[in-house]
Amino acid sequence: MTQNRLITPEGTKDYLFEEAVLRKRIENKLRDAFAFRGYHEVITPALEFLDVFTTAENGMPIEQMYKLTDPKGRLMVLRPDSTTPIARLCATRLKNEKLPLRLYYNQPVYSVNPSLRGRSDEMLQSGIELIGAVSKKSDIEVLVTAAKALQALEIENFRIELGHIGIFNALVGALKISKEASEAVRQLIENKNYPALNDLLDEMENKEAAAVIKMLPRLFGGREVFQKAKKLIQNTDVIGILDYLEQLYGALSQLGLSDKITVDLGIVNRTEYYTGIVFKGYVEGFGEEVLSGGRYDGLLKEFGEDAGAIGFAVNIDAAAKALLKSETPKLPQAAVLVYSDWAYEVKALEYIDKLAELKIMAEYSLCDSLEDALEDAKARKIRRLDVVTDEVKTIEL
Amino acid sequence: MKPIRIALTKGRLEKDTVALFEKLGFDCTQLHNKGRKLILTIPDANIEVVLAKAADVITYIEHGVCDMGVVGKDTILEYGGSFFEVTDLGFGKCKFALAGKQGEDFYTGYAEKTIATKYPNVTRRFFEEKGMDVRIVKIEGSVELAPLLNLADGIVDIVETGTTLRENGLEVYEDVAQVSARLIVNTVSLKMYQNEIEKIIGQIESVCAKA
Repeated sequence: MTQNRLITPEGTKDYLFEEAVLRKRIENKLRDAFAFRGYHEVITPALEFLDVFTTAENGMPIEQMYKLTDPKGRLMVLRPDSTTPIARLCATRLKNEKLPLRLYYNQPVYSVNPSLRGRSDEMLQSGIELIGAVSKKSDIEVLVTAAKALQALEIENFRIELGHIGIFNALVGALKISKEASEAVRQLIENKNYPALNDLLDEMENKEAAAVIKMLPRLFGGREVFQKAKKLIQNTDVIGILDYLEQLYGALSQLGLSDKITVDLGIVNRTEYYTGIVFKGYVEGFGEEVLSGGRYDGLLKEFGEDAGAIGFAVNIDAAAKALLKSETPKLPQAAVLVYSDWAYEVKALEYIDKLAELKIMAEYSLCDSLEDALEDAKARKIRRLDVVTDEVKTIEL
Repeated sequence: MKPIRIALTKGRLEKDTVALFEKLGFDCTQLHNKGRKLILTIPDANIEVVLAKAADVITYIEHGVCDMGVVGKDTILEYGGSFFEVTDLGFGKCKFALAGKQGEDFYTGYAEKTIATKYPNVTRRFFEEKGMDVRIVKIEGSVELAPLLNLADGIVDIVETGTTLRENGLEVYEDVAQVSARLIVNTVSLKMYQNEIEKIIGQIESVCAKA
């Protein structure tokens, strides 16, 4: 095994200096955004039993989870997602709490990615879950929090995209086709594979429903999408959902973000656990979504509690990448180097505390002579050397 | 506004795509005289063109460093990935087929079959759907050689005209999948640059519909 001593596993990395600080800053900003809206932090274990993630509602592919066994031979996984463990937590230890519960988390999730694709197997996510509320108010609260979270990060060019799982379900229901066939339709809509979707739907008997589904993946963009969709769609369930989405859209527009809010009626995630609205956040120059969330009213039932819930997660690494201007992190330097002769060590270190109170970053020089310390400061481009004896002498460089 | 970056699969698909671009009225001078340059521009359209190997086109699109790409369905089937596959461009047509020595009945007998291929994922999926266990051997060069040397009972490979097969005493046993060039788009780019990208897709769709 010695040959692996010097490397980190594929899909993981060490975070250095600026990058580490930036990640922490993002975490803190999000924590503020969540905590000041009444959300409370929870931490779930990195190790969970596989069974937590293999419920019917969840259906996460087992081959994408990191697996290991406990001493009894039971299968465990490194958590591939935080929402499911939090649903477990709410249905067990928090079962008797008064609803709604507002929780947030800040912890990594793990997934096995195909080799050599340059993806991260360890991803830090911060997110919220609003448990035990199914109202429009709760949808608006979480959506606004998502938008505010991205705004708080000061990412310039972002988009929040809204969709609703119910649209696809209602339309595909009208086709009256097998589960396998509807899964095939779903995949083609998800991939916006217009030609193959057309071919597949041309074979369907219900021509009217098929014609609408053909248009579904093309129905994305700004507010005009609602008008376009309403001209095409007669299904009353879907019209109801469209009205609802438009109301949410209107609510978000009040944030002064109307140019940043878009709609995609063709969002049809492999449902995972979503049952209602779904939303994603995008950032210019980053190829994947930085935020994703939605309503999942069926998940808690898998753990024995019947409660609706909605939440989202921000991918911290993605946000950091969008924010990190300089590609190679630099080693930050102290503003002041503090040197002392023998016997003044403790005094010098106490002096550093004083500088810290003034928010000045200082470093204690371990050099044996003042000349060495001066040279060290010059070499590292530190502009100030403070020499501590009975008093402090400042040398500007 | 940053230019829309399109990745093209080098080689034959590149020529067909350039021809398509010319039908759209794009100035393709740089694409014709590219020398060794790998990033080229289409001046009046605010488009950058990148030339890459087929599988790399998918990689660049997935990571979002290119917004759109032209790649064969063969590559999509083999490498997968998450992106929008918006248009069938209609050129680069061929098929995946299972082939082997002429006159032999591939599906009889109890012995496990060995299949040589450059496309192990396509092959595995094809036989999985049949519920058939096969041994797959990855070959990098001329796959047709493997059955001739008795390394494999069959091959799964791209077949265009079938001439190479015939000249080596092989024949197609069964078609696996139809292949043609596809226009693919990064999932975020389509949303961030919706107007620009939908305009290009619309133009391409109308040219393809005429053809």
